Amino acid sequence: MEARVSTMRVPITTRGTLFVVLAVFFLLVGWRIQALPDYTLARVVQDFLNALTLGSLYALIALGYTMVYGIIRLINFAHGEIFMLGAYFAFFAMVLTPLPLALALLTTLLLGGTALLVTRSLFNLESPKKTAGLAFPLLVGIFVLLGFRQLGWIEALFLSMIATAVSGVLLELVAYRPLRGAPRESMLITAIAASFFLQNMGQLVFGPYVKGFNPETVLNRPLSFRIGPEEVYFTGVLLVVPLITGLLLLLLNFFVTRTRLGKAMRATAQDAEVAQMMGVNVHQVIALTFFIGSTLAAAAGVMYAIRFGQIHPLMGLLPGIKAFAAAVIGGIGSLPGAVLGGLLLGFIEIYVVSLFPTLSAYKDVFAFVLLILILLFRPSGLIGEDLTEKV
Amino acid sequence: MKKFLLAVILSLGTVALADSHGGTIKIGINLELSGRFAAIGQQTLMGIQAAHAQRPEVAGMKVELVVCDNETSREGSVACARRFVDEGVIGVLGAISTSMSIPAAEILQDAGIIMISTSSTNPQTTQIGDYIFRMAYTDDFQGKLAAAYVVNDLGAKKIAVFRQVDDDYSFGLAGFFDETAKKLGAQTVVQDFTAGTVDFTAQLNNIRAFKPDVIYYSGFCAEGAPFMKQLREQGFQQAVIGADAIDDKQCPEGAGKAFDGVVFTGFATPDLIPDPEAKKRAEAFKEFFFQTFKDAKPGDFNGFVLAGADAYNVLVEAIARAGSTDRKKVRDALASLENFPGVSGDVTYKGTDGTPKDRTIGFFKYEVMSPDNWKKTALFGKSTAEVE
Repeated sequence: MEARVSTMRVPITTRGTLFVVLAVFFLLVGWRIQALPDYTLARVVQDFLNALTLGSLYALIALGYTMVYGIIRLINFAHGEIFMLGAYFAFFAMVLTPLPLALALLTTLLLGGTALLVTRSLFNLESPKKTAGLAFPLLVGIFVLLGFRQLGWIEALFLSMIATAVSGVLLELVAYRPLRGAPRESMLITAIAASFFLQNMGQLVFGPYVKGFNPETVLNRPLSFRIGPEEVYFTGVLLVVPLITGLLLLLLNFFVTRTRLGKAMRATAQDAEVAQMMGVNVHQVIALTFFIGSTLAAAAGVMYAIRFGQIHPLMGLLPGIKAFAAAVIGGIGSLPGAVLGGLLLGFIEIYVVSLFPTLSAYKDVFAFVLLILILLFRPSGLIGEDLTEKV
Repeated sequence: MKKFLLAVILSLGTVALADSHGGTIKIGINLELSGRFAAIGQQTLMGIQAAHAQRPEVAGMKVELVVCDNETSREGSVACARRFVDEGVIGVLGAISTSMSIPAAEILQDAGIIMISTSSTNPQTTQIGDYIFRMAYTDDFQGKLAAAYVVNDLGAKKIAVFRQVDDDYSFGLAGFFDETAKKLGAQTVVQDFTAGTVDFTAQLNNIRAFKPDVIYYSGFCAEGAPFMKQLREQGFQQAVIGADAIDDKQCPEGAGKAFDGVVFTGFATPDLIPDPEAKKRAEAFKEFFFQTFKDAKPGDFNGFVLAGADAYNVLVEAIARAGSTDRKKVRDALASLENFPGVSGDVTYKGTDGTPKDRTIGFFKYEVMSPDNWKKTALFGKSTAEVE
């Protein structure tokens, strides 16, 4: 079987399918647009920008989903809840700072200490010198961030990514590691349980209410430009999120294909047992996968929360399912596939409402019908790898 | 042996007697205490608890509140109703919303248990059976009044209506509004969304060419907060009118300044109640409420609190009038209630399907400076008796 993680090169046959799907999609859209009574160029552009904004958010969530699946073939249903945690961590980082110094110190020791332990075991920092070299800037950095002023969204995002990554690794340690070697169904059910657990814990700890999250950031700055007599509106999300998604895609691709740890990851994805025999620390690689996947989820959670201006303990449910669909449509395990699937889902949601207003209520149905079609006719997804099992 | 049996029977008899005098009587509470409508659910519960604190005993028995959280789900509401049937409560207060009230009502009606929905406004709810009552007005009034206000007072010619199609309340209310607005000569366009929708950009782009004068939103806050935010971001400056579902702190706290200026119809607060006697009772209750809940913020007291309190009050009053815990007798007493002096105005069930005869619908306006600094201003109240 081929490596299940990221290949930027797309095989020729796949290109054909991809081309057909996209061509059908755009033909359909074009045909409906010219049939609309009051369509203008501004309206078409507006729809396109709306779809791009939503799609890039889905793509960002789907990246983390696909990452974890690619390595251990676990559909991590708790990914949506990790995403929710990320949003909450950023919210608290922005609302509660500056913390009183004693509390800031305590939080720093707690968060920084765990983060240190986790990173140390993940990145093989055995020598005390290296550990100290990481510990000092990490602890001081967190303390300075927490203790002295109210955080901006970028610092909050950074802190949230650390905290969420640690939570993700802990989740892996507690919920998934004991099941290593168990049938895949057991892992799947555990993932669902972890998802429910986090949802309900969220309601208990954070309260069941919807909380507003509207920091003044570049993300939700309203912007507009003119096309003829009409105005087209968008927000900073449109500029930032695709950029971040693209950057992360390139970084991850580089990490997986060009670094030693990435190589270990691909080896684990191919065959965990043989990789172990070759000296790859499989537990470490899987924990690392959760670390990266959770960081991605945190980034997505914060962007999503700021975009829609609210957080609540069940906020990860729907985006989680959609991202899962996106990852499968694109080809689960494939990084560019996740991005493509997310974008496609965003486009479907916007264009169903736009072109068939009476069918607005069924926009999710269209997305999931596409999912079923893909599973029926091309189970490996649009640009996924061939999933035929070894005999 | 005979003596022993006699003693047993006698002692059982005394126990039974003691149970009806000075025992407890259970009232079930089926509310949305978590999930999407959690904030409204908690407020309603506070209203019920305050009323309970005012009148904790009836017919010589202590009233015990059995609280069940339906998690804002139909399944949860059904589970709560089943639980209350098993526990043998005398009556059930709640649910808040129509979508959770109707499934519970079907079970409670079959079991012959009284149910008083605190704020379900869809006409269907009380038509399920003779054991089902409500404390609010119905949506045909609410929709008509809102449409009359938008067309006659605001002078709107074109109205965009946003409704949540998978919610009985929102869908029904939008229908009543749309019908009346068209009758009054306005043009309307309807846009649909579903529960959990956070991206409204496509729907908003659809109404851009229509150039509406006013936008009517019949949904809830979980969707309403992102809706208002995107509406303003996308360059729409029109007035927005909502209904009682957005009489919820999650709206201004969730959307912040974007919710500034939104007008909505809702359950009247004390200052809008026309009858001076009723107003005095409402004001007194408001004072008692803030004494009972010392941590409550000013925004926590609203129509839902009053509806919760009066749902409790009328049920306890009916038990008192029936003088027994026989459900049939209590139901009959409740159905023949006339001009009961409630804290939300007089309550009359006599001759209705379980909807109180004359209710006041208030018009309110949000003034939002920031998510933590906002208030509702009462504009005016309209009695449902004035609407034909």
